[in-house]
Amino acid sequence: MKYPAERRFSLAVMQDIQRAFNYIPKEAMIEISEYLNIPFSQLYSMATFYKALSLEPKGKYIIKVCDGTACHIRSSMVILSELQKLLGIDAGEITRDGLFSVETVNCLGACALAPVMVINNEYHGKLTPQDLSEIIRGYRNASDESKDDLIISKEEGDGNV
Amino acid sequence: MDKISVIINGKKCLADKGEFLLDIAERNGIVIPHLCHHEALRGQAACRLCIAEVRENGRKRIVTSCIFPVMRDLEAETDTEEIREMRKTLLSLLSAEVPESQTIASLAEEYGKGDVSRFSKDFGNECILCGLCVEACSELGCNAIATVNRGITKKISTPYDEPSAACIGCGSCAYVCPTGCIRIDERNGIRTIWNKEFELIRCDRCGRYYITKEENEYLRQRNGGVQGELQCICKNCRQAETAKKIMETSLEF
Repeated sequence: MKYPAERRFSLAVMQDIQRAFNYIPKEAMIEISEYLNIPFSQLYSMATFYKALSLEPKGKYIIKVCDGTACHIRSSMVILSELQKLLGIDAGEITRDGLFSVETVNCLGACALAPVMVINNEYHGKLTPQDLSEIIRGYRNASDESKDDLIISKEEGDGNV
Repeated sequence: MDKISVIINGKKCLADKGEFLLDIAERNGIVIPHLCHHEALRGQAACRLCIAEVRENGRKRIVTSCIFPVMRDLEAETDTEEIREMRKTLLSLLSAEVPESQTIASLAEEYGKGDVSRFSKDFGNECILCGLCVEACSELGCNAIATVNRGITKKISTPYDEPSAACIGCGSCAYVCPTGCIRIDERNGIRTIWNKEFELIRCDRCGRYYITKEENEYLRQRNGGVQGELQCICKNCRQAETAKKIMETSLEF
């Protein structure tokens, strides 16, 4: 076991699970609470306190639209509603294919690029609503390619057997 | 053990070292308003209404009396002009937070409050998020409820708002709640609390429903797992029975 069964590791364990699954499934929560011997209610309290932890599934690509002051003034809400139109989901939701989830954040610290959004640590700045479909398509294609890679490697694997 | 002398509002009170100022005042009949303190539980220091002024070595400062341990002789005032003004502000904020709460309304009437028209009011909620219920649940050893989320969405709940396996339906949370905002429904021998339904047990004497099956079992476990038939007697009947026993024994003399 990576962590000893002590309460003080609650956050570390939850962060690891968040990283691995992009969210913390309920089964994992129950498992952690039993392993670390921390009351389920207290663990749930922690999990809902930190914004970095999510109890709902998140997409493969997490789109964070900045709605800080600078971005707001440069119509970040137009960007958001365009995204909603493109993906068919509201902020805080996930697309049915599990590819994208959208959320708003208060400031990304890149006000010079306003309006800005970040998708899995990649920044997209000085956005116009017209840019969005291109960007989204880019990620869709990237995802399809990685899926193809998976299939190929699987076939190769089968061949070797 | 040497006693410490605390002068509260001019009245000399004796106290043990480390006792909390609020407890000392209450014991001596000095009323300090408070919401989130219960004598059986640790101070929460959430409502801040129990503020008092402490004077030591020619200096004064404001403390929350429910969590202020008295370590040496000192003087305290609980009703100065400054304290009254601060309490008014606190009650103004509480009134805006839970405008429908009777408890807060009557406190505000007694201690006054400022103009609250500039605050947006939060209706449909009487919880002041003091956390006393969580403390009570945890002290009992159940840990069924806790604070969930944070900031303006913070609330008290069970995990996932679902009926909690840890809850025994004892109702301690509702009992200690200063604003009485935790709902307990009792109908046809079923108690509903925190979205969970509990079957109630009748008192062997008077036949009234008084305890949930789960709580009865929990108490039995705590008392060392008493085996066999256990009498189920409610608080009132137990009191009456004890009183009767005392009467009988005293009559013998």
